[in-house]
Formats: sequence, C-alpha cells, structure tokens
Amino acid sequence: MFWRILFDSIVRRKKRKGLAILAVWIGISLVVGLLMLSLDTGDKMNLELRSFGANIKVMPVSSSIPVTVGDYALTPSMDSSYLTGRGASPRPVILSEAKDLRSFGPLGLRMSRLHPKITPRRLSYLEESDFPKLKEIFWRNNIMGIVPRLWTEGEVNGSTVPILGLWLERRIPTETGEDFVTGATQLYKHWSIRGSWPSRGDERTCLMGVELARRFSVSLGDTLEVKGQRGSIRFQVSGIVSTGTQEDSSVITSLDTVQRLTGLEGKVSEADVSALTTPENKLAEKYRLSPQSLAPVEYERWSCTPYPENVASGIQDAIPNSAARVIRRVSETQGAVLTRIKGLVFFLAIVTLISCSLSIMGILASAVLERRPEVALLQAIGAERSHVLTFFLVEVALLGIVGGFLGGMTGSWIGQELVQAIFASKANDHLALVILSPFLGLGVASLGSLRPVLQALGEDTAQVLHGN
Amino acid sequence: MKTPVVILDQVDKYYPKGVHALREINLQIDQGEWTAVMGPSGSGKTTLLNLLDGLDRPTSGRIEILGVDTNRFGADEWTVFRREHIGLVFQQFYLIPYLTALENVMLAQYYHSMVDKKQAMRALERIGLSDRARHLPSQLSGGEQQRACIARALINAPKIILADEPTGNLDEENEKTVMDIFRELDLEGQTIVMVTHNPELGKLADRRIYLEYGRVTAFH
Repeated sequence: MFWRILFDSIVRRKKRKGLAILAVWIGISLVVGLLMLSLDTGDKMNLELRSFGANIKVMPVSSSIPVTVGDYALTPSMDSSYLTGRGASPRPVILSEAKDLRSFGPLGLRMSRLHPKITPRRLSYLEESDFPKLKEIFWRNNIMGIVPRLWTEGEVNGSTVPILGLWLERRIPTETGEDFVTGATQLYKHWSIRGSWPSRGDERTCLMGVELARRFSVSLGDTLEVKGQRGSIRFQVSGIVSTGTQEDSSVITSLDTVQRLTGLEGKVSEADVSALTTPENKLAEKYRLSPQSLAPVEYERWSCTPYPENVASGIQDAIPNSAARVIRRVSETQGAVLTRIKGLVFFLAIVTLISCSLSIMGILASAVLERRPEVALLQAIGAERSHVLTFFLVEVALLGIVGGFLGGMTGSWIGQELVQAIFASKANDHLALVILSPFLGLGVASLGSLRPVLQALGEDTAQVLHGN
Repeated sequence: MKTPVVILDQVDKYYPKGVHALREINLQIDQGEWTAVMGPSGSGKTTLLNLLDGLDRPTSGRIEILGVDTNRFGADEWTVFRREHIGLVFQQFYLIPYLTALENVMLAQYYHSMVDKKQAMRALERIGLSDRARHLPSQLSGGEQQRACIARALINAPKIILADEPTGNLDEENEKTVMDIFRELDLEGQTIVMVTHNPELGKLADRRIYLEYGRVTAFH
C-alpha cells in the first residue's frame, strides 16, 4: 500500500511533482555544468598557458656550465632578461675567438652582438633525432610542445646576421598510434607575425625579425639571399616577426634548411619544451630544502608528480649530453595564475551549489507546507509520525533522484558547451559527476524537505484540520 | 446495565491568551449511545471533540475512554489508540486528494492492520458509493466525499465515531443521506458523538448536551 500511495501521489499530481523535479533539474544542471568547468579548468588553462611559450629549455650540457673570467661571469645559457621576454635570447659565444674580452658584457648574447663574426662552430650540439624520444619518457603525456632550434649565422647583403632554424611543424608517431604534432607554429603562438609562418615543406620562405627587416628595408613578400657555409638560398619573406627577443634580429626558417645551409645536419643548439606541470607546493618545497626529510610515501608522491623540476630531469635523462632547465618565472607565473583561476571557478561552483540548494529547498519546503492538511489527516487516521516522515522523504527522494539524473545529463551538456565556448576544446569525460548527480539531487531534495516535514508533523493537528 | 465508554471528570481547557474553552466538564457517554453536542459557535463543542479524539489535550481533569485513562498517553500512543478504537468524520470531509474513494478507505485499513480491498468495497457499498469507488475526491460531490469519509471512519469497526458537524457543508438532500447512515449505525449499537449546531439534527440523537461558554448547561 505504501508504494501504491507513493505512486498515486506522484502520478496523479504530475504538475506539482513536475515542478519539484524541474527545480532540482535546473539546480543540478547548473551545479554539474560549473563543476565540470571547474574540473576542466586546470587542464584546459594549462594548455592555454602552454600556448604562451615554453617552460623548459634544453641545451648541450657544456653550454650550460658557467665560465668565469676575471670579474666576468661568461654564461652562455639563459639570460634572465630572456625569461621576462624583454631581453634577447641566449646566444653561445666561443671565448677562444673573442677579440677583446673586456668589451664583452657578462652575457654571451651581448658579446655576440658586439662581435658579429663570432661563430658557434666549435660549440657542442644536441642531436635532433633524440627529441622525438621525449614522447616515450615517463612524462610523455605532459610534453605538449617541442621545438629544437639551431642558431647560426649567415650573410645577408654583406652583413652577418643570426639565423635561426627550428621545427615549424613536425609529426611524431606515438605509441597510441596518433601523431603528436608540434613545432613553432604550435609553441610560439604568442609571437606577433605580420604575414604568415614559412610554408611547410617550402625551403624558400622565411620569417624576418622586425629589427632586421627595418635594417635591410625588407617588406613582406620581398626576397633576400642568405649565404651560409654550404651555399646560399634565396628566401621569400613570408612574415615579419616581433618577439621582443633576439629573434627580432634574425632570419628564421625551418631547421632542415638551416642545417643544410651550415652543414650541421642533424644538429640543434637548443630546444624549447612546453610541458604540463604542477605548480610547486609544500611537498616540492620540502624536497628542495631537504630531500632526505621526505618519508618514503612522500617521496613516491613527489616523484610521480609532474613538478617542473621532475619533468626537466626526465627530459635531461632522455636527451644525451643535455641540460634541461626550468624557466622558473614562467612556470611559477603559470602555476599561480592556474591556481587562482581554478580556485575562482571552484568557488563559483560551490556558490552555485549552495544557492541552487537553497532555492530547491525553498520550493520543496513550500510544496511540503502546502500539504499540511494531508500530514494532519494522515496522523488523525492513525499514521505514526515516523511513517508520515518516511512517506514524504521517500517521495521527495524519488523526485530528487529523477531531477538529479536529468540535471546530470543536462549539466554534462552545459559543461561541454561551457568548456567548448571558453577553451574551444572538448571537455574531458566526467562520468563520475553524472553518476553522482542523482545522489546530489537526492541529498539536496531530502535536506530541503526534512525541516518542513518535521515542522508540519509538529503542528497542532486539530488546528490544521479545523482551520482554527 | 449501560457500560460507560467516555468519562470526563472535571475537564478544563485553556488556550493561550487566556481563552477558557472548557470549564469543569463532567460527562459520561455510554456504549451504543448517540450523543449530540450542541451549542452556539465558540461554545467549546469542537474543543470537546478534539479532547475525545486525542488531537488536543485537556489542561486539567481526567478523560477516560473505554476504561483507559488517556491523560497518560503520548502523541504516538494516542495515534495507536485512535486508529484502533475511534473513527473520525470531519466537517470539511478531508480525503487524500490523489487517492480514489476506495484507496482512501484502504488507507485507514493500512494504518490499522492490513489492506482488504473487498472489505473496503463493502464499506463503500454500505453507504451507497460503490459505483464511485474509483473516483478521485475532486470527481465526487460534497455528499459523496462525506460518505467516503464515513466509510473510512467505519472500516476498522471503531468503538466510537466522533463526527464534527458532519453535514455542515452539505445540502439538504445529502444531509439526509448522511443522517440516515448515522441512524442506521445507531440502531446497530454504534457509539456516536456528533457535534452540531443544528437543533433538527440534534433531535435525531439519543441524547443532547448543550454547551455555552465552555460549560455544560443542559442534558436532554
């Protein structure tokens, strides 16, 4: 009889029950949608932030060793100004060929500018063929972009100019069967290019740095001949690039082309890597301060977490004779932004959950209070309080489950649309959230009804029935 | 010798704000007696009935029903006692709106012991409502709804029927139908306490108790 009453109560009062289900449905939809967005924000924002460049620099190990001469620290690795995007790119310098050490600045880059004839031919290089291996290492899924680069010099209109060869777009087969597409077009989306990237497969197009273009009065579409040690190529300028770094004074084209022009086939002088990393937290800080202080469980957690240093270490191990360095400021900034935005979206989801719960509770409360005479009548004809309470709670729980289920489905769709609209990519699957939503509906509906039902049960039955 | 079913001994009922609804009520209702509680509006008729069905409690005094001192009952004990021994008929013929007439009768069976559809149907037949058994309250007339309420009150064979203005919202024809049912029950030996302000209906009862300002002013 209990289920018959319950069934009749729902089926024969479709409008009222429909309204209650609708309230739960809408509320749970919003909550699930925002929670999905919140859960996806981390990954998606990380990907977005990755489009602002690399966060790990890979160089030959010998190039990363600082050399001190007198009062000068000659470190041809990363210039700190490079990290901020205001200065120039690292530039290797051969000390043996330097004509006047005193005129050199403390950084290799400045030396190079003062002495353009210095060439990197005695530098150590990395092997280009090693870089696809990065998609096989433990952190392979965190590697989002790889751009091996070869810096060299060539002659344009009788002047020596820096030439940069890099992967424009490269497909690397992976174990999943899908190709990993990477290259400058992916990693340097923040570069400001008037025109377009050099055509893939076309060796006769190049980008020209904005400063160099000004110096040689070169415009978009113009051609210029670049002489290298192994010949010369006439390039058509497909784009004028402005990066705020040394690329502004360089000719930029595909790595293969530069390798052939200089006779450095298969060699690269450095590489930019973009990796999905976890912002450093207390555990990472604890390890940095004292690795021995970590308990075995902590160490295991630390070693399996893609902290920037861990990923850099994995890269270094995979590329022979390399030194991988975290561009710390980029990583830290990205980590901080990510943490704040994730926190904000999660906060919004929680606020929505609370406000939706309150409105659902309000609707259900008024629905229950409308039925005070029914509660009083049931008690008058012999229903015990526990029975009335059970009846109302089971009824509302069923409505909550149905509303929650529908909310989960719609919320999942809303979440997909939000993620698509904000990040222009497909949302991750959050099946657990959809499975959880009927329970969320059940919880909210039950909580919302409990107090009004108890209130109705506590009312003076005689007064309710006689309308006094 | 008549067996007392209800005994009220010096019963007083105060409501908040100093309303003294019943004053020193001493009353005995015997088994098989049809008692009409009469009096003007606000005289305490409904309050008296509410004390008898346990929906309200006396401020002082003792109420004994079927030999049991009900003053010691808590809410749940009253609920059990009520469903075992008392049938209620309200003026506003309360029925559960989403249950049919038959299901409303079966609901009382469900809370009392076990559901017996045939027995519920017979109860409706007895009050001439079998053809409307599967109709919802909203599809029944006022008289039909009240008859369904009476069938519900009778279904568990209660020792006492308490009816509060059972014809208060009915037209003359339906009033007669309901009163015929009560007369029939009286003839069968059913104890009935009926609140009414209608002297004509009061005359149908075996005994009339007049209340005024919460006091019993007359017995007839």
